[in-house]
Amino acid sequence: MRQPEFEAISPEELEILQLERLQSTINRAYRQVKFYRRRFEAAGLTPGDIQDLKDLARVPFTTREDLSENYPYGLFAVPLKDIVRIVSSPGTTDRPLVVGYTSQDVRLWLELLARLYTAAGVTREDIVQFILPPGLANWRRDLQAGAEYLGASVIPAATLNFAKELMVMRDYKTSVLVSTPSMAHHLLTVMNGLRVAPAELSLKRALLVAAPLTLKVREDLEQTLNLKISRAYGITEVMGPGLAFSCEENGGFHFNADHFYPEVVDPHTGIPLPPGEEGELVITTLSTMAFPLLRFRSGDKTALTLEPCSCGRTLPRLSGIRGRVDAICSVGGIKLHPDQLRACLTASLGGHTPEYRYQVVTEDGLEVLDLEVTVDEALFSDEIKALEGLCRKVRRYFQDHLGINARLTLKETGGMEPK
Amino acid sequence: MLTVRNLYAYYGSVTALSGVTCHVKEGEIVALIGANGAGKSTLLNAICGLVHKRGEVTFLGQSLSGLAPEKIVELGISQVPEGRQLFAPMTVAENLELGAYLRHGRHSKARLAQDRELVFKLFPVLRERQHQQAGTMSGGEQQMLAIARALMARPRLLLLDEPSLGLAPLVVETILGTLHRLREEGVTILLVEQNARAALKVADRAYVLETGRIILSGRSQDLLADRQVTRAYLGRDYREFTEGR
Repeated sequence: MRQPEFEAISPEELEILQLERLQSTINRAYRQVKFYRRRFEAAGLTPGDIQDLKDLARVPFTTREDLSENYPYGLFAVPLKDIVRIVSSPGTTDRPLVVGYTSQDVRLWLELLARLYTAAGVTREDIVQFILPPGLANWRRDLQAGAEYLGASVIPAATLNFAKELMVMRDYKTSVLVSTPSMAHHLLTVMNGLRVAPAELSLKRALLVAAPLTLKVREDLEQTLNLKISRAYGITEVMGPGLAFSCEENGGFHFNADHFYPEVVDPHTGIPLPPGEEGELVITTLSTMAFPLLRFRSGDKTALTLEPCSCGRTLPRLSGIRGRVDAICSVGGIKLHPDQLRACLTASLGGHTPEYRYQVVTEDGLEVLDLEVTVDEALFSDEIKALEGLCRKVRRYFQDHLGINARLTLKETGGMEPK
Repeated sequence: MLTVRNLYAYYGSVTALSGVTCHVKEGEIVALIGANGAGKSTLLNAICGLVHKRGEVTFLGQSLSGLAPEKIVELGISQVPEGRQLFAPMTVAENLELGAYLRHGRHSKARLAQDRELVFKLFPVLRERQHQQAGTMSGGEQQMLAIARALMARPRLLLLDEPSLGLAPLVVETILGTLHRLREEGVTILLVEQNARAALKVADRAYVLETGRIILSGRSQDLLADRQVTRAYLGRDYREFTEGR
């Protein structure tokens, strides 16, 4: 354990720590962020009303839409001159979500990343190779910085083809792979094609992030490569991967509850659910300075366990992420909102929105966005070349703007079968 | 060791503390920092039962609600008040004896003598001056005596109110330097300081108070690096940060 005094804290100590940090966070948010002050006033609340962790349920939720509406700096709680990092991630509208960090936030973030790596069994002796798509720039940067902070030898993510990555992995004696489940799985296909035997690699561990890990992918990887798989959970709005991590016992995600307060609520009524029941994860920051978030609705579906883990950690655990409560889907770990998809498609077609349908499919272990578009009068051409150009244009647009691999199929009018 | 929950304190109709929650663990040195009037001394006085309070204070698992100050001292909490408040015409030795007032008749003379020895070991200058009137000593020496007097009650938790007030920087360093030795003697310390920098250098953790509320908390090294601490300490208005947003 990196910080046993917090990771194995007693429930009583955790409760008082959370309460005092929650109160000071609310005091700061109320004083320094107009948005929160108005929210409190509208709900007839003052910071003094939050006298217990249970009272947090009286505080209104914060949503991704709230973040968009306060674009870019409206929710920052410190002067811009105290901000040392500004991170954006795609939101549900054309405005990105903007999160700021003070230098103290950055130190906290590094420490939480070191917790994650330590729990994954990674040490400074390890050689850590990153294979993450450019669309996951935030995960790339976060996890790379964390591994460097830990003191491991880092091979940063490059945009190489898989054959080259594999060569690096074999020749540099990579011991830890950091990737997405689908990319790691795809690696097996590449190894097969190039006839690289698992014994030629020095891999001992893999940290797989940004997307759910299916049992099949886990088994394939563990059995073929004989490695231990770790996982991390995080969202860009709340310190990225610093949020929760798996341990050697694999009993779900340990949630860094000394710095973030987790709640699981009914996605429809917003009422907090007891431990063990599945609902939407809602997060409140307890320590971050630049960007306090009160009851942020993550959109991720999970359940909370308060039982201590056999690894010795007492931090509450998320049972795993079991999908979304909203319509956001994940393409190889990159989040995509339906409105965003529609906006991108329309923009790539010069302002025209045809009838379309989409799903996420897996090709050779890699996730791609499968788009079916109806060729209506506006799009129709009797030249194959023009139609091919159309496909290329859309594909490139999705790659450039979202970092998402799209596959386009054109259908004639009325050719779309009901789903 | 000490847990404070949602503590409110009032001076007449003026609210001096509005919902303070904090804790001190055994063996820690914790600082409370903040501008003049932020409520730091009030918090110490409320813990000691010297001001009217609402909320919950527990010490070693026992609630301090409704307890008289002397009962709280008996439980193991001593305060070194702001401005030292020594008995100026009395000698150093007499002041120390008064510090052990509650122990007279309960603890043997030998134990009291042993404690006086310990105090003299911590502050050798007090041994030299034991027959001198307290009021004739320098500010630094008086502060040492004030701490020594509080230690004579054999506290497990020592509350220090502005020990650096009015002292030269070098003397401040000596006084605050003895806190680590006190910790080695098994004393836990809650320290109130306006001299935030000096306090953060000796403390493990700190809370930043502003107008009766805790607005920041954390490890001292982190707070020392934090620019908001400087602002809070200077007591400047928090809202003057918009910079054209």
